[in-house]
Amino acid sequence: MRAIARLTLRQVRHERGRTVFVVLSIALAVLAVTLLASVGLGVLQTGEERFDRAGQDIWITADGVELTATGGIENPITDSHRLAADLERRDDVRTASPLAFHGVYVGTEPDDLELVTGLGVPNTHGDLSLERGTGFSEGDSHYANGTYDGPMSQEILIDPQTADRFDVDVGDTLYVGSSRSSATEREFEVVGISDAYSQFLGSSTVTMPLSELQTVTGTTGTDRATYVTVTTAEGANRAAVSESIQQSYPEYDVRTSEKQFESLLSEYLLVLASGATLVVLALIAGVALTVNTLVLVAVQQREELAALRAIGLSRGFLAGLVGGQGLTLGLIGGLLGLLATPVFAFGLDRVAARVVGFDDLLRTPPEVYVGGLVIAVGIGTLGAIVAGWRVARDARVDTLHV
Amino acid sequence: MARDSSPTENERPRVRPVSDSADRTAEPSSVAVRCDGVTHEYGTGSSGVGSTASRTVTALRDVSFKVATGDVVGLVGPSGSGKSTALHVIGGLLEPSDGTVDVLGTDLTALSETQRTRLRRDHIGFVFQQFHLLPALSARDNVALPLIERGVSRGERQRRAAELLEQVGLDDRMDHLPSELSGGEQQRVAIARALVADPEVVLADEPTGELDTGTGAQVLELLVDVADERTVLVATHDERAMAVTDRVLRLLDGEIRETGQFNE
Repeated sequence: MRAIARLTLRQVRHERGRTVFVVLSIALAVLAVTLLASVGLGVLQTGEERFDRAGQDIWITADGVELTATGGIENPITDSHRLAADLERRDDVRTASPLAFHGVYVGTEPDDLELVTGLGVPNTHGDLSLERGTGFSEGDSHYANGTYDGPMSQEILIDPQTADRFDVDVGDTLYVGSSRSSATEREFEVVGISDAYSQFLGSSTVTMPLSELQTVTGTTGTDRATYVTVTTAEGANRAAVSESIQQSYPEYDVRTSEKQFESLLSEYLLVLASGATLVVLALIAGVALTVNTLVLVAVQQREELAALRAIGLSRGFLAGLVGGQGLTLGLIGGLLGLLATPVFAFGLDRVAARVVGFDDLLRTPPEVYVGGLVIAVGIGTLGAIVAGWRVARDARVDTLHV
Repeated sequence: MARDSSPTENERPRVRPVSDSADRTAEPSSVAVRCDGVTHEYGTGSSGVGSTASRTVTALRDVSFKVATGDVVGLVGPSGSGKSTALHVIGGLLEPSDGTVDVLGTDLTALSETQRTRLRRDHIGFVFQQFHLLPALSARDNVALPLIERGVSRGERQRRAAELLEQVGLDDRMDHLPSELSGGEQQRVAIARALVADPEVVLADEPTGELDTGTGAQVLELLVDVADERTVLVATHDERAMAVTDRVLRLLDGEIRETGQFNE
């Protein structure tokens, strides 16, 4: 075996151009797999973390909810406070809170406004970890049992990205409105910096009491919300509670947090399928190039190999001599791909953070590297098997000139 | 044996004819190779357009001869006369269609392919017209190849390969790749490779075919010289090569037409 390994390395080193070509193709195939796996794992873990951080067990919404980075979100639930109150009367529910998203214009100058995601939260969502500031000074007093005539706090929480974007800090004032013209009518004081909701949404976010967002956006009449979130009573089975609520409110979609996350993922199925297709194509290209190169070696050297067979070397030895090259190239390409993975993952992570707003979206746990190595060895092995088969077939002594 | 004889440019080798029957009946004291009624046919597929019948070409027809241990025998004849086929049958590379081939007391026709491979590995050395050296390996590594499956240690393989390369005059070219060697040097490497496992029988198939006249003669002399007391069969169409042989079998159309000894 050591002799075969040594001879294999000589062959690989001798054909440098060929080796570089195959190694790069395998490395690219491995890189495609590891990066997609990193993105996939990252999306899953990030999503789960965000849902966990939200601390809600059940999510109630209706059809048509779509989260976008610019806050273009429908709020399909009407009379959301009443729905939440109804739910809170159930024994198996501890809290129920409406939650609304709405695109709002924000800026420090009336003529310099930008569209960001506005998030309306009730009291139960006010327990946030703040980087700076004190948070909301009081609850959602403006709601006033549905009359919306209580005092407005005019307080707003912003994420660090928004703070940088508008160069504001705690104590500064921001204009907020549902349109450029209406924004100049309402000023909000920044009372805290927190990335809790921007991390959840992946975009710049301003957070204010729900009723004040509804007032700003003119949805108080219908009391619209995007979700009503539920925490279950202690000891209650969340799946069972979810099912029970669904039966009581068939007009809504009721999902546990896990199902809600899966539902969000399914909306990106086409993107995921496209990514998977690209990876499969990269794998096929890697396999094809490796196999083709090794088969060419087997064909080009068939007379030399047949001569070695004639002088008494076994078919297995010759297959190992060529097939070993497949394994070697697979290993080298795989290692190169794995070495490149953290570099490319870091770059892609930066790009993803800019585009979708999530930090650490790409996750590269050891399993990703193991998977990449398995792919590389798999490509090499497949190449080795095909090349070995060709050697066994072609390195026949009757191919020698007679 | 005529180990030291070599032809000059104007010297035509002469063969002293002996009768075929005499050769068959005169049993050498120790026979290294014996062919008895060997016939070999190649199938060549369809015999023509619209025909489904396969055509066969008879490369060897009822060939019988013996080679004594230590003899250097030339198989001579024009291209297509069957000399290479005879060599490959003796080496167990081809199975005869009919007849028996006995090498070192073993009937090759009774052996499996694996057994024939093992026999070649342990007892037969091959030299080919086109050298067939692995391009990525140095001269020394090419020579050492046949020893790998014999369980010889790497150090011993390298030592023996170096020894053989010294014998063929390539002690200063051991680490060169085949592409860095001339045709004559490559053939000398191939000769060293054929002998490194210390085979009793050496089969050389047109060993001078790719070389110019002068180099060819030198290589042939070297082969016979280095082979020492081994049995050597050389298939060649070069009449001058007969000068280094003890005996000549002249083939034509797959049949032995003349058997003789080189007469100085």
